[in-house]
Amino acid sequence: MENKQSSSPASFVDSTVVPGDVVLDLSSMTNQTIKLGGGLRQDCDAISATKAGTLRFSKPNKYWIESSQKRYVPCVEDTILGIVVDSKADNFLIDIKGPAMGFLPVLAFEGGTRRNIPKFEVGTLLYLRVVKANFGMNPELSCTDASGKAAEFGPLKDGYMFETSTGLLRKLLSSPACPVLEALGKKLSFEIAVGLNGRVWVNAASPDTIVVVANAIMNSECLSGAQQIIMVDHLLKNIQ
Amino acid sequence: MEGRLANSWRLTVNDKNFIKTALLSEIRIDGRKPFEYRKISIKFGREDGSSEVQLGQTRVMGMVTAQLVQPYRDRPKEGILSIFTEFSPMADPSFEPGRPGELAVELGRIIDRGLRESRAVDTESLCILASKFVWAIRIDLHILDNGGNLVDAANIAALAALLTFRRPECSLGGEDGQEVIVHPPEIREPLPLTVHHLPIAISFGFFSNESILVIDPTHNEEAVMGGRMTTTVNANGDICAIQKSGGEGVPQRVIMQCLQLATSKAASITKQIKDAVEVVNTERALRKVKRHPTSTGVDVREKQN
Repeated sequence: MENKQSSSPASFVDSTVVPGDVVLDLSSMTNQTIKLGGGLRQDCDAISATKAGTLRFSKPNKYWIESSQKRYVPCVEDTILGIVVDSKADNFLIDIKGPAMGFLPVLAFEGGTRRNIPKFEVGTLLYLRVVKANFGMNPELSCTDASGKAAEFGPLKDGYMFETSTGLLRKLLSSPACPVLEALGKKLSFEIAVGLNGRVWVNAASPDTIVVVANAIMNSECLSGAQQIIMVDHLLKNIQ
Repeated sequence: MEGRLANSWRLTVNDKNFIKTALLSEIRIDGRKPFEYRKISIKFGREDGSSEVQLGQTRVMGMVTAQLVQPYRDRPKEGILSIFTEFSPMADPSFEPGRPGELAVELGRIIDRGLRESRAVDTESLCILASKFVWAIRIDLHILDNGGNLVDAANIAALAALLTFRRPECSLGGEDGQEVIVHPPEIREPLPLTVHHLPIAISFGFFSNESILVIDPTHNEEAVMGGRMTTTVNANGDICAIQKSGGEGVPQRVIMQCLQLATSKAASITKQIKDAVEVVNTERALRKVKRHPTSTGVDVREKQN
């Protein structure tokens, strides 16, 4: 540990860190403003990791730790898939796979007024946006984009929803498109919604397309790009 | 109230409908056919009598231990076989720590019935001194991950653990021949249990009114299906136990079909368990043979240092 502290901070970027590792030393980088993301904490001059994962750096000054986990920690402006659990007078209670239930105010819809409150039965799947995620409070969700338009948000009809780790999600949302999605998209037509809370919804005309797409995505987590394409080819051959 | 809601696992309306509609065209969400079983992998721990079974996403750990106890009064010459289940909240958020839930009790009972009523484990050979000392075999089943069909996975884990378990050898001694001497494993080779046959539990799920039948239901399918039936059969086709739960009524024809399917599946699972056990037994034997050369090897290296 001693020699790690003295080493230059750049050496930790893109390497695996575990909780307690001191990844940055502020005393050696004066007159510089840095932004800390998830998994990092500051103790005086030392920035240490609080979770295991890969330390990432994005120019000019952002640091965060990237890891793959099953739980979701709400973050403002994330787009997520939530399940309606209960409806109260002011809020819908939404399960977002996080530590606390999300609150979706009944007025947080495009043109939402007291008169046209939507009715959602328990178990409805919604595509949502996180508006507030304060510590110790239930996260607040919304079915509109920042300008109050419905955009793509709202209930998702039919299809199939499955759960994945946050690591796989990041791959699915990365650009250029993830190889598995690209390979599937060339042969099949389907609709997909990826929530940052580890939920993916897939819809297609026939059930077997949905099953193939869902399984291909779930299997792709530990495969390289080339392996993903081979796997998709293999799966598609089986159904044709 | 809210905390409880957050803990209970739930399925979306979309998934429920999708599972049902896909099953109508004989498609299951994990790409299986209705009568296809998931892949089973059986692993063993370093200790004798420990096993870990993975059935798709489901993971169960089995652990067998033995203890010398006084037998029950009404059965002075029989050993005791008992099963304990442990449902960890890590496996599924809906499992509550502490008190065993309804599912935990049912699972324990089904496996217990399969093993005991069919007399799969020879309890009479566990007797050392009638009405004084018998071996009490305890099977602990820990659910590590719930991916559906816990009964079948736990049953395989219990069987695999029983087959690899070794109990210390005992003999009678002392002046009156009433004293029990337990020989440590270094002195006398521990003995395996006598297992006559392997009762394999096979579960089926029934879906409402379309008379759809699936084998080995997953977690999601369990949430949708109306009824389930677990049949415990062995490779010879003997029925050891049947458990039918859930509200769905099932005609006799379907039950017969289930039993036929179960028998053929039981044969292949039995083979898989036996193969896995044989591999671990040969390894065990080889470990014993190699003991001497490795110990001398270590000595030499230490001298060099």
